[in-house]
Parts: sequence; C-alpha cells; structure tokens
Amino acid sequence: MHKYLSNKTAIVLFMLPALLVYSIVIFYPVLQTVYRSLFEWDGLSEAVFIGLGNYSELMGDPLLLTSLRNGLVFAVVLVVFQIGLGTVLALVCADPKVKGRKLLKTAYFIPVVLSVTVVCQLWIAIYDPTNGLINRLFDMLGIPYQQNWLSSPTHSIIAIAFVNAWQYMGYQFALLYAGVKSIPEQYHEAATIDGCSKWMAHRVVTLPLMKETFKFCFIIAITSGIGAFVQMLIMTNGGPGTSNYTLTFMIYRYAFMESNYGYASAVSVVLVAISLLATLIINKVFDRNETA
Amino acid sequence: MKQASRILMQLPLWLYFVISIYPLFWMVSYSLKNNDEIFVTNPFGLPMNFRIENYVAAWSQFNIPRYFLNSIVVSTVATVLILALSLLFAFAVTRMQWRFRGLARIYMIIGMFMPIQVIMIPLAILVRDFQLANTYGALILPYVAIGIPFSVMVFSGYMAGIPREVEEAACMDGANIYRLFFQVVVPMVTPAIATVTIFQYLNNWNEFTLAYILISEETLKTLPLGLLFFQGSYSTDWGAMGAVMTLASLPMVLIYLFFSEQVERAMTVGSAVKG
Repeated sequence: MHKYLSNKTAIVLFMLPALLVYSIVIFYPVLQTVYRSLFEWDGLSEAVFIGLGNYSELMGDPLLLTSLRNGLVFAVVLVVFQIGLGTVLALVCADPKVKGRKLLKTAYFIPVVLSVTVVCQLWIAIYDPTNGLINRLFDMLGIPYQQNWLSSPTHSIIAIAFVNAWQYMGYQFALLYAGVKSIPEQYHEAATIDGCSKWMAHRVVTLPLMKETFKFCFIIAITSGIGAFVQMLIMTNGGPGTSNYTLTFMIYRYAFMESNYGYASAVSVVLVAISLLATLIINKVFDRNETA
Repeated sequence: MKQASRILMQLPLWLYFVISIYPLFWMVSYSLKNNDEIFVTNPFGLPMNFRIENYVAAWSQFNIPRYFLNSIVVSTVATVLILALSLLFAFAVTRMQWRFRGLARIYMIIGMFMPIQVIMIPLAILVRDFQLANTYGALILPYVAIGIPFSVMVFSGYMAGIPREVEEAACMDGANIYRLFFQVVVPMVTPAIATVTIFQYLNNWNEFTLAYILISEETLKTLPLGLLFFQGSYSTDWGAMGAVMTLASLPMVLIYLFFSEQVERAMTVGSAVKG
C-alpha cells in the first residue's frame, strides 16, 4: 500500500505541472520584484544596482503621501459601509420573522457578480453632474446640493470608494450573515431570558462570537482599500491631477507609462509590506480581545 | 403595535434593497430609452416604449460579439486548466506519500496571499519575453497560475477527508494509481469541483487589472476591457452604452440567479481558508 502511494513517477507527473506554472508566474516574479526594486531599470537596457536608492527616493515622493492617505480613506469607507452597515443588516435579516430573506440576499449579491467596468461606468452616469441619478434625485426632492461628485480633489476619493463599497457589500453581507447564522439560537435566547433586550443580546452574545468572521471581513476591507486601483483608473484616471492616486496607481504609472521599472518595483514592495503589516495588526487586535 | 414595530425593524433591509437594485434597474431602463427620455422627460422610471434598437446597435456596430468570444475562450480554457492542475497537485500532496509534500503544499498556499500588484511588473516582462504579448496565452497563463493556490487549498480540504479504506480497496481491486485518481478520487470531490469552477470562472470573466496591462490588441480584448473604451467615444449616446453594459452583465447575472446558493458559497468559501 505504501509503495502504491509513493510511486515516484506518478508523484512527479501529478504535481509538476501546477508547480511549474505557479513557480514561473507567481513565485519567481515575487522574488523578481523585490530584487528589481534595488535597481535603476527601464525594462530594456542594463539595470544599474542602486541599493536602497529607490526606497529613499520614494520616501520623498509627494505621491506616496497622497496614495497612503487615499488608501486609508478607501479602507475607512469600506469598513464603515460594508462592515458597519453590513453587520446591522445581517443582524436584522437573521431575525426569524423577516419575510423575503431570499429576495433580499439575492438583491444584495447581484452587484458582486458584475464586471467592475460595468459598475464603474454605471456610477459615472449616476454621478454625472447634469444628468446623473443623484443630482436629478436631489433636484426632484428640492435639495439644493448639486455636486460635481467626481471632480473634487478632496472628496472624489470618497465617491470612488463608495462605488467599491456598493459593489462588494453583498459579499461582506454574505460572510456576516453566515457568521450570525453560525451562532446557536439558544445562546441568544438565554441572554434574552436573563433580561437582555434584543440588541443588548446581540452586543454581548452574537458580536463577540463572530470574532473570526469580523477578522476576515476587516482583512478584506482594509487590504482592498490599500490596494485600490481599478475604480480610480476608470472613473477619474487618478485625477483631478494626482489627487486620486493610490499605491497601485503609482506602480501602474511608473512601470507602464514611464518605464521606470525599478522604482515601480519598490512601490510594489512597499504595498505588500503595508498589506502584510495591516493583516498582522488586525490579527493581533482580534486575538487580544480574546484574552480580555 | 407589534406589527408596526416589526415593519419598522425591517425597513433598513428594504431600504438597502432599493440602494442595491435601483441603480441596476435604472441602467436597464435607460438602455431602452433615447436621450430625450433619459435626460428630460422620464429619467427615473420604466421606458415608455422599449427601444430595442439600442441593443441591435450595440450588438452590430460595436465589437461586442468579439469581446464575448474572447471572454468565453479565456475564462473557459483557464478554468479547465486550473481544475486539472489543481486536482492533480492536491492529490499528490494530500494522498500520496513523499518527503516534501507538506513543504510543497505550504509553498503553494503562500501564493494566495500575494497581491496581484507584486507580480504585475515581472509578469508583463515575462509575457513579453515569452512572446505571449497579444495572444490568449498572455491572459490564460497568469489566470491559471493565480487560480491554482486557492483551488489546491479547496481540493486538499476535500481530499484529506477521503477515508484510507477507499485507496486500499482500489489497490486490492488492482487499479493503478492513475485509475484511483481519475475513477475514484475525482468523482468523490465533485462538490468541490463545482465550487472551484464557479469561483474561477467568475473571477476570470470579470478580471480587469491584468487584462488592462497585458492586452492592447483590439481583437483580443475581453469584455471588461472592451467596454472601457465605450466611455470616451460613445459617452453621449447613453441608450447604446446602457445596452452594451446590460448585455455584458447578463450572462453572469443569469448564472447567479440560477445557482445563487452555489455561487454565494463558492465566492465566500475563501473565508474559511484565508482568515
């Protein structure tokens, strides 16, 4: 039996194709990015080793600050909208008396399966200053708050982040709803019998038990905020000016528009480092709550 | 009184229902209107008469059929390859016995945590050096590689649960290792295959960033990429734009409506392994 399952030829045949593709297309490029970040390189001519030169240049790059700030705003919008509102909706929806739950869940999830291009273009139309849905709606309701949603250098990042929040709300909702549902009904009942109100019971029983779900939701929301790119590319092309730049947008511009591959690689490394750090911190925060 | 408070309680659910669905309803409506109706006479409601000609224009004047074809080819080939390679690999690391199998598994799983931004630049250069630029391969190869770690993770989970006796029985019956894999193990993990297929097909179908960087040839553009270029040139003809967007969204929305439970499960299965 042991011999049967340790057939060397079979093992090699089975694992080699996946291993090769993965190593060539994922693993080796990751190492390449780290290595190339130490060079001055335009992608064609001989690369020049400059040590940490790209990194020190990056520290003085004003785009870095803009990008970090935008990543943070993006992440905050996702957390507040998807996790905040999503949790409230999941708790309400889990109530056994709710009618039409299937319909609600489906409606929330449909935007998730759409292509990001369609969603962004739809929202360009919705944000359109003269014919867009929002300004027209405000106009109809008599609210004198007509905005040029995507052209404000300071606030358009929120409008853009909202598009991502809207599209993937259903995803986070599905996770949160599954989290609420995984807690045995009796726990909640016991708390209500002990005199807790419904919301109090949720706060002291349901939410603490959903820790693992929240951890995952926070990791997704915050890392997608840090890595945001497509929405700003399609909706404002990073502008007005460079006001909607993010780390990924910097990589895109330096690598593919300015052929400054070494420098762009350094931005990639910083992006990954920040994402990993954020994931570690989220893990730490949630694990500490456990012992408290 | 109780009735009233119950309705009040559920109000947020239905409010968000409107926020989630109305923009899509609005898009489908304006895809059936002309500019006059969209901008002036009837911006919010259903179209007064359904202007199917927007759809005819979208399908015939633009490259939509081509984009559809490209998306189908790329997503299908990539998904099939992901399934084949991941099933084989997962079998080798969970069921077969060799020294470095644990290490091989971890090495593969690390890939799940690599954001696409970190491989973007070398990948573009790799595609150029392999002479893959502006071929289907330029998308299929990266999609396969990106899909493998996650799929291996899911398949490994399922395969680890197969009892030893199954292998012993197959061995007794004289099946060789290849038959054991194809005729015993693969059929036993069909639910996982369904999950992975849905997840990967959807991801590949909607993938944007790599397609944007790796494909510039008009005849090779996938839907998400092709649609992008309507923005500039046709931004004044909202009806046709809406028709294009509705057409492009239809396949995935229909798949979701038919298999909603499976799709939701497939899309969120990552939560069990990633956290």
